[in-house]
Amino acid sequence: MNPTLEQTGAMNEHGMDHGAMLAQSVGDFVQHGADLPRVRALAQTHAEFDAAQWRQLAELGWLGVLVPESCGGLGLGLAEAAIVAEGLGRALTPEPYTAIAVLAARTLEGAAETPLRGELLAGLAAGTRVPVVAWQEQPDDFGGRQIATAALPFEGGFRVSGEKRFVIGAAAADGFVVSALAGRELQLLWIPRDAAGCSTAAQPLADGRSYGSVSLCDVVVPREQVLASGDAARAALDRAIDHAAAVGSAELVGIMKRAHEMSLDYMKTRVQFGKPIGSFQVLQHRAVDLHIQQELADAVLRETVAELDTAPDARVRARAASRAKSRCAEAALVITRAAIQFHGAIGFTEDCDVGLYAKRAMTVSAWLGNGRAHRVRYAALGTDSSGGQA
Amino acid sequence: MTDWNTMSDEDFRKEVRAFFENEFPEEYKFLARRMRWHECRDWYRKLSKKGWIAPNWPREHGGMGLTPTKLLIYYEETERAGVGRMPDQGLTMVGPTLIRFGNDAQRTFFLPKIIAGEAIWCQGYSEPNAGSDLASLRTEAVADGDDYVINGSKIWTSMAHDATHIYVLARTDKQAKKKQEGISFFLVDMKTPGITLRTIRNIAGHEEFCQVFFDNVRTPKHNLVGELHKGWTIAKGLLGFERLNIGSPRRPLQAMEKLETLAQARGLLSDPAFVERLTQLQLDLADLGSLYRRFVDKVRRGEALGPDVSMLKVWSMDTYQRLSELLIEAAGEYGAVEGEVAIGDEEIDVLSPFYNSRPGTIYGGSNEIQRNILAKYVLNLPS
Repeated sequence: MNPTLEQTGAMNEHGMDHGAMLAQSVGDFVQHGADLPRVRALAQTHAEFDAAQWRQLAELGWLGVLVPESCGGLGLGLAEAAIVAEGLGRALTPEPYTAIAVLAARTLEGAAETPLRGELLAGLAAGTRVPVVAWQEQPDDFGGRQIATAALPFEGGFRVSGEKRFVIGAAAADGFVVSALAGRELQLLWIPRDAAGCSTAAQPLADGRSYGSVSLCDVVVPREQVLASGDAARAALDRAIDHAAAVGSAELVGIMKRAHEMSLDYMKTRVQFGKPIGSFQVLQHRAVDLHIQQELADAVLRETVAELDTAPDARVRARAASRAKSRCAEAALVITRAAIQFHGAIGFTEDCDVGLYAKRAMTVSAWLGNGRAHRVRYAALGTDSSGGQA
Repeated sequence: MTDWNTMSDEDFRKEVRAFFENEFPEEYKFLARRMRWHECRDWYRKLSKKGWIAPNWPREHGGMGLTPTKLLIYYEETERAGVGRMPDQGLTMVGPTLIRFGNDAQRTFFLPKIIAGEAIWCQGYSEPNAGSDLASLRTEAVADGDDYVINGSKIWTSMAHDATHIYVLARTDKQAKKKQEGISFFLVDMKTPGITLRTIRNIAGHEEFCQVFFDNVRTPKHNLVGELHKGWTIAKGLLGFERLNIGSPRRPLQAMEKLETLAQARGLLSDPAFVERLTQLQLDLADLGSLYRRFVDKVRRGEALGPDVSMLKVWSMDTYQRLSELLIEAAGEYGAVEGEVAIGDEEIDVLSPFYNSRPGTIYGGSNEIQRNILAKYVLNLPS
């Protein structure tokens, strides 16, 4: 059912295709382990974007997984992007992979074919440009239906004013793909970070990363910085957000799997009443129920990314993405919170790694719609009980 | 023979839907209990003639060989049309077990009889003192000439009163060091002298299971499946198929059909608090589908089901019960009414999913036993 890696990409000179190489390099990266001291220090250092780390992700080809080959990327699908995101989630890598390599890459991919689009996509894949999509203004707003940012026609381009929020990756952005309304028509506009009238502020998050807020005050956007307009802009953004929600779900799967492993390891070694606590049936059954949530999340994720790669219509795509995010967000939260409980008092300390996983699960599940918001959207998109693939 | 897998999912769904809707007898649609053999015999044979009786079996043995996605579509349409549950042990348990563990002679003899509806099977596993602790079973089989002679009793044997055959776990070596060793797996004709039945009425008032007594019952030696004393391996393999079967979304789907109908009839879909709970259950069921397809795919590739299949059974039956409970709650005062009740334009039996979902967390290894299995063999937690 899931397309195998062999079905994607071209072979290289070693007879391996891009997908298989990708899986291998992610495996190596994960095996190398997480740089948890760095993650723990984020709240003080604010170093959520490490240029050297980003270069490494670019060299591995991971940033360009979704970027078309004609623009210097690998031109692979969401199934492969999910492999990368799961590995990075597992390692708690703070760099904004999903925000840039998925949300921005997909948005730009859907933009009109201009020199700027090509330059940004190529730069994104190479790690030399960091375009970040600043689309959202209100919570729970899928697809940017509640946009107040206005674009007034000006010398063939626009003058833009508004306030964008919840922008993951803003700290490192060299520019923003901004959504704005010109009358009733949606525009996707490129605004360099240093454009006159553009300023950013950071809102600290539980896991030491930050949301950026982007303030736009009468920012002049010349015609050549218009990336997409009207229905094309709407379609590009909607698709990009669904795809990013699905790949964000993969991050959550990586986070939950590692956290649950830590719980199980602890249960096997921590001795109380003369026995490992993992021998107690009440804890065993709780661990099993969480494992079931993890496996449901994993199964839904794999089906979802495979389904999204077949380019279904917008409603099917949105429902699938919401199904994945809902399950993965809830499972990640319940598993990481239980990890604190399984570890007892030590789990409540700053030194204990499970706290880092619990906090990352909170920020990734909240971004682009939490479990509740996606359930609401799933319901609003229509009901059927046909096992998800009717 | 048609290869159903080459059809598009949509076309396949349409064809299956039309057939179930038009051909399944009206009077048995959405039956509150399991169908008895005399009620479903004609339908069984109609499906058999059409080549649709064994959607999960490989084509070489007379099945449809469906991919996981198509198999689930088949089940979804079964439930949507209200097709009743037939005595299906041969199709879901014995067939897959013989395909995997039986010998050619057993396959050649029994599989066509199952397909044709000539052999109806029941399961001789539990005993009065061997329920969750199945390996402590005491029914005994002793070699005598060309036969084994079986003595003892089995209980909670669903549909035994309709069965022509029973598969039995019996102890063949009382000296074995571990209780799991020295058990063997036998096929027995229910007409054999020495077999007697006592039906047991269940909580819903239906006679769906029995106690089966064996008094010097002789079964020929060629009806031993697999090696002597190694029946526990086969029993576990069969339990894998049983957990896959119980773990399929089809039974919770039945309850979901009713819940959605009731919600429409009572206008509950404008109540956000209800919709939130309904949506959660719809997602629980849809996600069960994803997990189910993963395991079906494994079987289709010829891989053995491991202990991890237990999670499917836990989640499926847990979801089924939660659905049945929300159905009762959503019915308000009608939630107390036994049998079919008119609500709006619909006739709904509100309580039958509640009754039908109760044994699901008990039979086939209780959900607590499944969790023990998962803890030990999948999570490798200490004992």
